[in-house]
Amino acid sequence: MKYLTRTLWVTVFAVALLACKEDKKEEAVVAAPIEIGADLYHSSIDKVTQIMVHDIFSPPVASRIYAYPNIAAYEIIAQKDNAYKSLAGQIKGFPPIPQATGDSVNLPLAALIAHMDVSKALIFSEEKMETYRDSLYGVWSASNPAEFTAAKNYGEQVSEHIKNWMSGDFYNQTRTMSKFTVDTDDPSRWQPTPPSYLDGIEPHWNKIRTFVLDSAAQFKPVPPPPFSMDKNSAFYKELKEVYDISQEITEEGDDSEEIAIAQFWDCNPYVSVTRGHLMFATKKITPGAHWMGIAKIAARQSKADFNKTVFAYTKTSIGIFDAFISCWDEKYRSNLIRPETLINQSMDENWKPILQTPPFPEYVSGHSVVSGAAATVLTDIFGDNFSFLDDTELPYGLPARPFASFKKAAEEAAISRMYGGIHYRAAVEVGLEQGIKVGGLVVERLDMIQTP
Amino acid sequence: MMKNPEFLRSISKLFGLVLPLITLFCCQKNDQLFTLLPPSDTGIEFQNTLVENDSLNILDYLYFYNGGGVAMGDINKDGLPDLFLTSNQNQNALYLNKGNLQFENITSAVGVAGNSSWNTGAVMADVNGDGWLDIYVIAVVGINGFEGRNELYINNQDNTFTEQAAAYGLDFKTYGTTANFFDFDLDGDLDLFLLNHAVHTEESFGRASLRNARNERTGDRLLRNDDGKFVDVSEEAGIFGGINGYGLGLTVSDFNQDGYPDMYVGNDFHEDDYFYLNNGDGTFSERMRDYFGHTTRFSMGNDAADINHDGLADLISLDMAPEDETVLKSSEGDDTYRTLKMRTQQFGYHYQFTRNMLFTANPDAPFTESALMSGMASTDWSWSALFADYDQDGHQDLFISNGIPKRPNDLDFIRFVSSEAIQKKMNENRLMDQEAMEMMPSGAVNNYAFQGDGLGNFSNQTEAWIPEDTGFSGATAIGDLDGDGDLDIVVNNINAPVGVYENTTNDTGPYLKLAFEYRDTNRFGVGTKAYAYQNGRLHYRELYPNRGWQASSDPVLHFGFESSAPVDSIQIIWPNQEAQWLRNVATNQTLTVTPEKTGPYQNNAAGSEQKFRKVAGNLGIDYTHKEDNHTDFDYQKLIPYELSDKGPALAVGDIDGDGKDDIFLGGARNQKASIYLQRTDGFERIEYPEVSNDSVFEDVAASIRKPSFGKEGILTVASGGNYISPTRKVLGNRKYVPASSNDGSSLGAEIFDISSVIAEADSLSGPFTQFVGGYSSPMDYGKLSPSVLHKTDGSKIQLDSLGMVTKAIWDDFDADGIKDLIVVGEWMSPKFFRNKNGILKEAAVLSNEVSGLWQTIIPFDIDEDGDTDYLLGNWGLNSKFSASAEFPMRMYYADFDQNSTTETVLAIEKNGQYYPLLGLNELAEQMVFLRKRFPSFKDFAGKTIEEIMGPEMLEKATVYKINTLASGFLRNSDNTFIFEEFPSELQTAPIKAFLKGEFSGNGKESVLAGGNYFGVIPFHGRFDSFSGALIHSDKHIELGNRLGLRLEHKSVRHLEIVRLEEKDYLLVVYNNEAAEIYEILD
Repeated sequence: MKYLTRTLWVTVFAVALLACKEDKKEEAVVAAPIEIGADLYHSSIDKVTQIMVHDIFSPPVASRIYAYPNIAAYEIIAQKDNAYKSLAGQIKGFPPIPQATGDSVNLPLAALIAHMDVSKALIFSEEKMETYRDSLYGVWSASNPAEFTAAKNYGEQVSEHIKNWMSGDFYNQTRTMSKFTVDTDDPSRWQPTPPSYLDGIEPHWNKIRTFVLDSAAQFKPVPPPPFSMDKNSAFYKELKEVYDISQEITEEGDDSEEIAIAQFWDCNPYVSVTRGHLMFATKKITPGAHWMGIAKIAARQSKADFNKTVFAYTKTSIGIFDAFISCWDEKYRSNLIRPETLINQSMDENWKPILQTPPFPEYVSGHSVVSGAAATVLTDIFGDNFSFLDDTELPYGLPARPFASFKKAAEEAAISRMYGGIHYRAAVEVGLEQGIKVGGLVVERLDMIQTP
Repeated sequence: MMKNPEFLRSISKLFGLVLPLITLFCCQKNDQLFTLLPPSDTGIEFQNTLVENDSLNILDYLYFYNGGGVAMGDINKDGLPDLFLTSNQNQNALYLNKGNLQFENITSAVGVAGNSSWNTGAVMADVNGDGWLDIYVIAVVGINGFEGRNELYINNQDNTFTEQAAAYGLDFKTYGTTANFFDFDLDGDLDLFLLNHAVHTEESFGRASLRNARNERTGDRLLRNDDGKFVDVSEEAGIFGGINGYGLGLTVSDFNQDGYPDMYVGNDFHEDDYFYLNNGDGTFSERMRDYFGHTTRFSMGNDAADINHDGLADLISLDMAPEDETVLKSSEGDDTYRTLKMRTQQFGYHYQFTRNMLFTANPDAPFTESALMSGMASTDWSWSALFADYDQDGHQDLFISNGIPKRPNDLDFIRFVSSEAIQKKMNENRLMDQEAMEMMPSGAVNNYAFQGDGLGNFSNQTEAWIPEDTGFSGATAIGDLDGDGDLDIVVNNINAPVGVYENTTNDTGPYLKLAFEYRDTNRFGVGTKAYAYQNGRLHYRELYPNRGWQASSDPVLHFGFESSAPVDSIQIIWPNQEAQWLRNVATNQTLTVTPEKTGPYQNNAAGSEQKFRKVAGNLGIDYTHKEDNHTDFDYQKLIPYELSDKGPALAVGDIDGDGKDDIFLGGARNQKASIYLQRTDGFERIEYPEVSNDSVFEDVAASIRKPSFGKEGILTVASGGNYISPTRKVLGNRKYVPASSNDGSSLGAEIFDISSVIAEADSLSGPFTQFVGGYSSPMDYGKLSPSVLHKTDGSKIQLDSLGMVTKAIWDDFDADGIKDLIVVGEWMSPKFFRNKNGILKEAAVLSNEVSGLWQTIIPFDIDEDGDTDYLLGNWGLNSKFSASAEFPMRMYYADFDQNSTTETVLAIEKNGQYYPLLGLNELAEQMVFLRKRFPSFKDFAGKTIEEIMGPEMLEKATVYKINTLASGFLRNSDNTFIFEEFPSELQTAPIKAFLKGEFSGNGKESVLAGGNYFGVIPFHGRFDSFSGALIHSDKHIELGNRLGLRLEHKSVRHLEIVRLEEKDYLLVVYNNEAAEIYEILD
């Protein structure tokens, strides 16, 4: 009974701080083991998501912030759990982590600590992560200092190992590489879009080391329909379709299911709003974060234990990470202009898309690729026809949406970009296919489950 | 009105105003020029109290904080200026001046409290032409439920007024800012320009051409007075009236001195300001681009006055650049390089930058913008500017009102605070509520006072002149309230009592006030000019009392003088262009002038002597340098200026061996070079395939040398640009040797870096033939590039660490008959190498180190003492850079984040500490670790460079330092050289080229200087104002715009003489522009 009580305290850490003082008095002699439930891992992921929303990371960078901490946690739990296999040797350049000595280290605890520690290195607002971490550390060190210290030392050791490996992924080098060159003489070429006219983000993301993909261009999609403003061209028809859909659903207004879909999957980390001199931002989670949210729903719904939860997050985030590289490789290959620019230029000067156009080239749709990859990986883990209620966007003021399967969700996420007025049909359809291929490769290549 | 103290307290708390209110009247220093009088002394209890709530705030109405208006004028003809004040949301007030700075509120008795929901500007003018001042009140009507209309209070001549806007056709229901009554068509009555503002959200730029489509509510209007009825003639008069006209500033002045009043309209946001020149036929022509290289971006108030005694109205336009380092670094600043490019090139807007602009007028030529040099570029959230001689020392000074209750451009608010507040309110209807908006930091700041020196320079006298008045000040009017001769100031504040600033100069400085009693329906003589001459100095004023921000001042001309002796003469030019002279006018008096013994006015302004004239057809030289789309800042985000815009290359010499000068003009990357051979009647472009095939090179320097054998010239071309191709071959220098020549020497070192200059030596240069300067390693600014010396025996010497060379000359500085080598460059001192016994040895000939961003050098005896001095072109002083011997500008160069790419970080001194020049957004774009180190802007803002980068990081860096940015000359004093700065008119922009020649037809040589530069991020603006100058001596300098040259708004790179048919012509070569030929007039 007592045991159970403490688990609860740890989960609800705000209460736990108060509670542990009493705890000390009661348990001066025997320190019970620290139990780490899956919910603590979910909380850690959620915390990282919150901080990312605050700090403002672009979707590709956000995918990197999810992946490495998950891998750190996964490698720790995989070493002793017979159900899982290490990723060492399976993902690029990844050397085996140092093994925990003896059986005394609380691996879930170490995994959680490593997750927080690697995350802290990746986000900007370290203080926010530290505040969260220290509240947990306070509980653990009070309840079982020896166990906590051992897990902390080991978790940090693995964290260092992961950070060291991570530093070779070319992220640092790409920070100082050139910006996207705007060339308005080429009518097909992407241009910055209203209202902030931001530079194209991450033009060198295809140089980031992949986890599973052989190269960024491994699933290079077919080129988009050739640019043409001839009214009979395939390209123009797709452009017109974006405009027509938006006119149609705007007329329907609040009743429009399409608008609801577009907004649900907006996942734009920084939507700037300008009112005269007053500027502000509405910020949401990224597409990767949304799929982390779906992974969480699936893990909870299937009552996954701590290790399976870590496994699910890890494999999904690996898929998302490679999906962004694959997608961005094409984006800055085709450098295709956004519908908003063309519609403003040639059809309707005052037209605005339902969603704010994100600051990078159009083809292929990032959300489509990422959703395709994530859904494929999640289907592999939790099975097809896994129906769930997606309430990921509730904190951002959007209602929950039910889905019959991960694939259905991915399909909706993809088409939402057309409804939102920020993508042509080809980018959505080809993008989804490309994502499924990336996800398929992750599933095929990564051997993470021990076959008995 | 709200007099409940409880209410006031809650209001002041609401706005974080507790401190400002307390400090407003408590910190008077005894010796300040102005005394701030409390309401208890003046009886003026009016205050513009703003009440914001969830349905009306800055989110609903973008100009919620623009404040009320103030108009000053004597409404009852008792000789004392009275005051009218508008309140945005409450009743307006009229205060009668009872003398001794005592005022009586007569509002309710006289019927001027107003009926509009939202009042803005207020002006006084004699609208009905009866000799009594009427009051026009502007309103915002038609948004946010604002009702009402503009109101015209006609003076009943008995201290009461009757509202008659409709009868006069002035009952507008628009989004009004302010208005100006003046006689634009010189038909004797006052017309009206009504300035309106757009309110739509700035979601996308929209094309500039939007201004052509007239919008009833937002468009500005010109109303012609047809016998007491105002008729809208905006359209036919050529007045823009678009939905994008955010009209906030309005100044009327006869800028071009043709007798007809012109207008400057300041527009907020991306819309250009408008410069309307009066055509004299009832229409205006908008000529912004012809007269202004750039303007303010968030244009607010503006004002015109002659600040430098040349009889031309100069202009200031205000913006919102903070002076305070902490505020500066936490506020949204200028556009990015690319956004500005897009706004100007794609959307059709002009260049605009976020800081105040001071424009000095030039006769029939573009204005010279010099706010940075004049020290008044950054005065924070500034509303009203009023020029006047406040201290009566004979020169125009400037008062600027300031402050905003909340800073909506606070970067933490934009990026972090707002969204989290929004997040909490997701379930409510409104996007943002009052609570969220309270999170914006207060913009309570002091007003500014600047003292002018009569030369166009201003010194900040805020502390010496005005009491601590931190708060939110707006509309401002000036006049002599207490009749003691000096100008008092009245400021309408938000949520604080009206500021009444009593001027304590009194008659300690000589003054003269001129009131006019003109004729017809313009009794106050609006538009009258006065040219007062004392001791040979001209003091010019013109009467347009509707000036300042949403305001009008007492309709009297006020002069201050250096001497209390009588003014020698005053020429009055009445609006009908009749002139009249007043002689021997005593100072310290108020004079009422009526037209008497007038005669037709002849504008006798002596036209300057034109020395140059553009040659039609350019002698056949049809060369236009065209830079490619490459932008250095896309690659090296923190370099201080571009490296790839060093071209074009120019060489003049005999290429075809006919004894006549030919011209080589290099191409930018992927542009063919052009060779022009001299024919009898001009030049002919001849294609040399071996040269044009090398168009992939960016040509930055060239020379044509006569070979030792044969006649045809040897062409050497040095390459620049800032690219690294796999082989770097495009950075190689090339030599084109004619077949007839025996020249077999190779070009020498294959250094694939950015070169800068080729200096050909001659027979007097000892064993040396050529110096090729190295500028920088490409994509690694800060890493020096080698320079190379070539010798007659074909050998060469490589100089690895000479510096970032920009120019080199062979000249005999030690007068021993052998030419020595002098090299100048950026981030270095000029280097003098003595040529002795075939060896070049650096000589310490400078009296002091003068490190600068040297651009060019030329030998010239500027002090006319018989020895050779050296003129030096530097960056100039009209810049955000700053450097002095005590506080050099620093450039740190290192790979700070250790990712194999180097960075440069500039730091300048402010109040004894060094701060990074750029903000967190810019720095972190290259060095992401700073985002981690400073998660919010307030953590970063106000931090020194040491605190930001950390001492260990700075210690590892190479530090370049310079101690002067001034162009100037090295005065030769017995072969020791002492640096002296040029006067300020030569410091407005970088000087990039010198040319020595006889330009005056008197056999005496002068040096022509040219410059300007645009290869900087919008943070710096554009250095476009230098019109070139002819330097005859250190005491005699003529600006190019007086000589027939038009070098403004273009970046001069070469000035050269070409001789054709026994006649010398001036060749001017620009970066990214067409080359031009000027005839040199005798």
